[in-house]
Parts: sequence; C-alpha cells; structure tokens
Amino acid sequence: MSASQTLVPAWMEIVESPVHEEARRRAQEEALEALVDQYATTLYRVAFSVLRNQSDAEDAVQEVFVRVLRHRDTLGDIRDHRVWLIRIVWNIVLDRKRRAKTRPETDDIAEIARVLPTTGLSAEQRAAAAQHHAHVLACVEKLPAREREVMMLSAFDELSSVEIAAVLEVTESSVRSRLFRARNLLADMLGHSRSMR
Amino acid sequence: MNLSGHNEQDRNASVNDAERLLRLIASLPAPVGIEDRVKGGLRGAGSKTGVIGWPAANRTPWTQSWYMRAAAAAAIVFVVAGGGWGVHARFHPAPEPAARAVPQQLDRSGGLSPAAAMRTPKTLQGPRVAVPGKAGQQTERDSGLMKKSSPRARRREIKNQANPAATLPLR
Repeated sequence: MSASQTLVPAWMEIVESPVHEEARRRAQEEALEALVDQYATTLYRVAFSVLRNQSDAEDAVQEVFVRVLRHRDTLGDIRDHRVWLIRIVWNIVLDRKRRAKTRPETDDIAEIARVLPTTGLSAEQRAAAAQHHAHVLACVEKLPAREREVMMLSAFDELSSVEIAAVLEVTESSVRSRLFRARNLLADMLGHSRSMR
Repeated sequence: MNLSGHNEQDRNASVNDAERLLRLIASLPAPVGIEDRVKGGLRGAGSKTGVIGWPAANRTPWTQSWYMRAAAAAAIVFVVAGGGWGVHARFHPAPEPAARAVPQQLDRSGGLSPAAAMRTPKTLQGPRVAVPGKAGQQTERDSGLMKKSSPRARRREIKNQANPAATLPLR
C-alpha cells in the first residue's frame, strides 16, 4: 500500500470537532504532499507526451494538484489514486491542447529535438533524427483522436490496458481494438510517405 | 508473396519505430524539483483561497460550540412561536351574521329541463249523466253545499232538467 493510500483514510477518520479541525487540515496537507511526491513525475511525463512543452506540462501538473486540493474531501472515496490522477491530467492536457491549437508545430519539434537524447550523434545525424521524429509525430497527430489517445497512453510502460481503459473510461476490448486500428493506420501513413519520397 | 511479406515487415518496422519514439518521449525524465515547485504552488493556492474566501471560514466556526448551537435553536423556536402567537392575537372571529344568504331555490326538477318529455294531462271529468230515477235524491247542490250559481247557470240547469237528453255527451 502506498503512503498516500494509508494517509488518506487516516485523515478521513478524524471526527469533525473544533479540536480536531487543525489536525484534520494538517493531515489533508500531508496526504496531498504524499500524492505530489509519488505521482508528480508520472503526471509530468503524461502531460509532456501530449503537450510536448516542459513549462506547459509542469503547469498541467500544478493544475491537477490544485484541483485535488479543491476536492480533497473526496479523496477518501478514490480507490486507485494513480489512475485517477492520470485521468485528471489527461483531461487537462487534452483540453489545453485543444485550446492552444494556434501554437506552431515547429515549436513542438524544436522542443523534442532539444529534450531527446542525442549523445554520440553528429550534427548531421542529429538534424536527420529530429526531422524523422517530427515526421513520425506528425503522422501520429493525424490519427483519429480515439486511436491516437490509446496509442499515446500505451507508450507508458507502467499503464496496463485495464488502466488505459480506466483513464479513457472505455472497455478494455475497445482499447485493444483501437490500438490495432491505430497501428494499421500509422503503418499506412508511414508507408505512404516513404513511397512518396 | 515475398514482396508482400517484405512490405508487411516494412510496415511493422515503421510502426515499431513510431512506437519506440513515443515510448522514448513517455520515458523522458521530469525536470528536477518539480515536486517542490508543485508543493509551493499548492501552498500559494491554499493561502489565495483563504484570502479570497470568506474570512470567517478560517477561524474556528461558531457553529461548533454547543451553547451557541443551543442559543441559535432557542432563537429559532422563539421566532417561530412568536410569529404564531402574533397571528393568533390579531385574528378576530367574524360576528354572527344577522341574515344568511340562502342559495336561490330551484324548481322541483332541480334546474333540470324535462328533456321534451310529454306530460300526461289529467283526465278531465266529463259532465255527469243525471239519472231521472234518482232525481229525488238529494244532491250536493240541493243540500246547499255548493256555491250559489249565477242566474244564467240556473236557467241552463232548469232547461237541462226539462230535456235530460241534452246532457248526454256528444258522440
């Protein structure tokens, strides 16, 4: 059992009284800090995979925990905090991306080229790799939203298909079928672009 | 066959390549100190809600103390009871009326029409045949119980006695 899972029920059991109010508040803060310690990096990675911008991803993580702070009284009802938090950050980043459509795609590519490890590559190779990555990501972006979302979440090794289904609020079988379709579509797109070259 | 197999391999390789890139992006490490920054932001958000929120909310709520709750309950009871008494005190029953309004009485049918029903008229009593043999019998008229008839009627009566066939009904 994780630290946050043990802390949350503990503060939920504190009875309402003026004496215990302060203790309750402190316990809530501790539970929230435990959640931040445990899941902030995971949430950041999920956010970055969609937004592809460090500061935007960090803002999204911040927003997740501000929302949790606002609804901290419901924390005791949550069974799996990890999946719950990933679902929150997923919705936030999709919403942000929808609103920030005006940002040029070149910014994303530059950011990816900056953060991806390129040690041992020459300048030419680095440029070619960045171009290839940009092309692949552009193809991923062209996928239908449902298929794209499943494909992006399946890139996280720590998420099982059951958990992806829980994040997207669909059945596990539909996750599998969407992933299958996504792979086929992506193969068509990449193969088509290769033949065009 | 060989060509299609080669194509299939190419397709798989390109998809695997794309998935590897996505996995690489997904596994990028988070910037150092993100947890501390998030915690700092939360503290700021918490204090901000305190400033924006109702100032009394941060203090120990008065609703928690027992005697304040009892006082509030007593005040509510007093207000409700006082209001009820005020209404009762101002209420004066209306004096007994000297006359009562009675609804207009309808005819026997209760206001309903007869729906074009034919009324059977009462059978008229025809003129009685005066039997000559019983002429000596004392009639009501003779006994003087009847009203005094007019001179014209009396003359007709005398005439009828003289000619009894005139009293028979026409056929």
